[in-house]
Amino acid sequence: MRVKFTLNGNPVELEVDPRETLLNTLRLRLRVKSVKRGCERGECGSCTVLLNGNPVNSCILLTIQVDGAEVTTIEGLIGDSLLEKLAKNFIECGAVQCGFCTPGIILTAYAGIKQGRIKSPEDAREYIGNLCRCTGYVKIIEAVGKTAREVLTSGGV
Amino acid sequence: MEGFKFIGKRIPRKDAEAKVTGTLKYTYDLEVPGMLIGRIVRSPYAFADIKKIDVSKAVKMGAVVLTPSDVPQKPYNPRLVSIHEVTYKDTYILTTRPRYLGEPIAAVAAPSEELAQRAAESITVEFERVYKPILDPFEALKPGAPRIHEKIMRGDNWVEVENNIAARLDYDEGDVESGFEQADVVVERTFKTGKRYHMQLEPKAVLVIPEPEGKITIYTTTQSIHNTRILISQLFEIPESRVNVVRVPIGGSFGSSIQTNYLVPIAVGLALKAKKPVKIAYTREEDILDHSNFVFYFKIKIGARKDGVFTAAEFTNILDVGAHQVQPYPLLGTSLGWFVSMYKWRNIRYRGIAVYTNKVPGCALRGYGAPEVQWAVETLIDEIAEMIGFDPIELRLKNYIGKGDIFWGQGPTVKSVIRSDGVPELLQKGRELINWDKRGHPSEKKGRFRRGIGVGRGFHTSGASGPISGEVIDYTGCILKLNEDGTLDYITALQDHGGGTLDAHVKIIAEELGVPPELVNIASASTETTPYDVCTHASRGTYVGGECARRAAQIVKQKILETALRIIGRAVNPEALKLRYDEESKQAFVYIEGTDIRISLAEIARTAWQRNWGTIGAFVTYRATSSPPSFTVYFVEVEVDTWTGKVRPIRVVAGADVGTPINPDMIEGQLHGGFAMAWGMAFSENTLYDPLTGEIMGRGLITDYKIPTAADVPSLEDFKVILANTFEPAGPYGAKGLGEAATNPAVAAILNAVYNAIGVRFYELPVTPDKIIMALREKGDLEW
Repeated sequence: MRVKFTLNGNPVELEVDPRETLLNTLRLRLRVKSVKRGCERGECGSCTVLLNGNPVNSCILLTIQVDGAEVTTIEGLIGDSLLEKLAKNFIECGAVQCGFCTPGIILTAYAGIKQGRIKSPEDAREYIGNLCRCTGYVKIIEAVGKTAREVLTSGGV
Repeated sequence: MEGFKFIGKRIPRKDAEAKVTGTLKYTYDLEVPGMLIGRIVRSPYAFADIKKIDVSKAVKMGAVVLTPSDVPQKPYNPRLVSIHEVTYKDTYILTTRPRYLGEPIAAVAAPSEELAQRAAESITVEFERVYKPILDPFEALKPGAPRIHEKIMRGDNWVEVENNIAARLDYDEGDVESGFEQADVVVERTFKTGKRYHMQLEPKAVLVIPEPEGKITIYTTTQSIHNTRILISQLFEIPESRVNVVRVPIGGSFGSSIQTNYLVPIAVGLALKAKKPVKIAYTREEDILDHSNFVFYFKIKIGARKDGVFTAAEFTNILDVGAHQVQPYPLLGTSLGWFVSMYKWRNIRYRGIAVYTNKVPGCALRGYGAPEVQWAVETLIDEIAEMIGFDPIELRLKNYIGKGDIFWGQGPTVKSVIRSDGVPELLQKGRELINWDKRGHPSEKKGRFRRGIGVGRGFHTSGASGPISGEVIDYTGCILKLNEDGTLDYITALQDHGGGTLDAHVKIIAEELGVPPELVNIASASTETTPYDVCTHASRGTYVGGECARRAAQIVKQKILETALRIIGRAVNPEALKLRYDEESKQAFVYIEGTDIRISLAEIARTAWQRNWGTIGAFVTYRATSSPPSFTVYFVEVEVDTWTGKVRPIRVVAGADVGTPINPDMIEGQLHGGFAMAWGMAFSENTLYDPLTGEIMGRGLITDYKIPTAADVPSLEDFKVILANTFEPAGPYGAKGLGEAATNPAVAAILNAVYNAIGVRFYELPVTPDKIIMALREKGDLEW
């Protein structure tokens, strides 16, 4: 089937098998490797992308479902001020260990803050369902909470 | 840290930017032109004999196919940490007698994953006989039980396997009977753990590339590039010089790749047959079939006098190793080591038996038996304290193995004397911070939500080295060279799983040379460009690898000073030359105090280059003479919901004695992560097996394997980290390890807190909500 969507602002037009997942389209065809394959069951969140600004697990989404939509991966947010703040705080807070879950968590946090759903560390704890096995989440929540506070004090995104 | 320029400072890790922007490549992200994708055909039975494998359809589809007859049929052990003589070998690259459901029996490679999967599914396997799986080690031990293995190799010799016993280890010290006679109280308990899965975020993957001249290059998720190289070399009889294993960033490991994962030799077999690059990446369900922890069954009996002196301890350790050995023999030794190095028992009897069952082969999982042993011991210490009317902390302080004592965590052949010990300080500080003396008694606690406070004390070793060469291999090596502009390349085989190990090394080198860490490059590494390193395991990265790096920096420093002397060219007393970091210009200078002699490192490097003096560098291979314990102490407050059986953490005080802290933010990160892992071990993590088929229940989907999420852990304000003010004389700048100690005693603290909340002790992990409800019901303490 023919499918058209925008990836990080660039138009994409592809012929895909209707059973193909967005994760496989991104990784295998479009070579976007920041989107990680962790479980393919929608459980771990390593494959998170933004679909029209909302975080989704690309492993349980068919590519044909994103026809006409805007798909954003972390590559598409380089230079974005909120992304830069998140990245800086993840680094400064020591929220990065093995790094495999990191892009997915940052994208989830990005959407949560942007949509006003994460305003505090408590919100972040509830909102971020991505799995991480290294950090025990403590510093991740700190980094996201700190970013949310910075955004609030600077008058929003 | 006072007096240090870089050590103990919070400096962002070098790979952080690549990680937050998603540009860092892990094994599964790698692609090369012409690469085939491999898939593995797995046994649908837990215990069976194969009659025939029909691959004709797969071949017709154009796939490269590998069956047992295409690969060397010699037994191997995927883990090479113990010396050869005590390494038991029972695994085949592809087997004709699968011994667990999911064991690899054939493999295919094709240009796409879909084609490979279709080819794999087209292969039909005819079975000669299907046996009833043996899943319980006590069933396996019974006389007359079918033998899972008949003959295995120990070193170079074939040995018969009797009663499914994979390995055993006994130990006796003193006179246990008379010890128990002297006791005022004797307590005996049995403990059982879950079969936990590592759930590292990155499923295992490998890429094998055949090269000219019969060479192969391997990229894979391994904690030890050198041991992977040696194993492949031995299995396929390719000289080590023609096998190059490249260090690739790894998405967490926690022990799951101390061994070479099963997909590596399979991919090598496929690549050699196809003469093309082959990549294999497990799905998550395959990853669960590749590795999980051992199941531990303990029976422990301890005798104590009323004055708080222990008189004897008896420890029986039945280890369910699963279908193949991933070196459980050393685990029998470390289990004993963790036990005897906890407290002064005085008289000891140990019986350790490793037993085969038809389950996924067990391997190390962060702590290598220490979280399990320390949970059991710390539970018993609390029980004894209550029986003899001792404060649990005082009983620990009175009996723990500390400074000046012999410590042998890593088994009977790895002994050394403890020279740094922060236990009293951590117990005292933690006691105050958690408000220990106000914790109350379980009988005083009523209502739906009940809070309790518990303590757990333990340790892990820093490495597995010792003064004498024993049964464990532990040494490392590195190369450090000064570049022509005064920057440095640091070359080591040591893997960083994400804990920041290599950043610690950089700080140590920077400190020694007065060079800012940003000028020290962590060079890409492979087996052909690095000296041997055994493995990043046993919490040895900072302690062993860091000291090796420091020694290399020391040699380089000496050579820098010699070169400076040559440049200065005057009658200078060489000992007057000093090297230091200049804050203003952010570079290192050689200078002589009280003179105007001052020459930058960059200038020294440039001059040596321009005048043809050669490269300043060092090649060091290093074995530590001790494996000092990194002590950890956890104080935990929990809240038990007696209606739902759910437990939530309220406050945590994590105390660590890591000697001199090198990376403080990473130390905190280890403790946070270690606690979360212990929380999962305590309350949820287990892989259950269908008793009839031997299949992991829920087909191994991680939707059924719950690890803690962000909502399950305490917040930063409620997670207090305290570090002991100690200095380890054998460590680099006084440092010790941490990775595993960060988890080890936490489970004990958590479950001792549960006891303090509801007055019930649990001896089987995980303590799921139903167990809590049932226990409260039996106690007649349900308020509904």
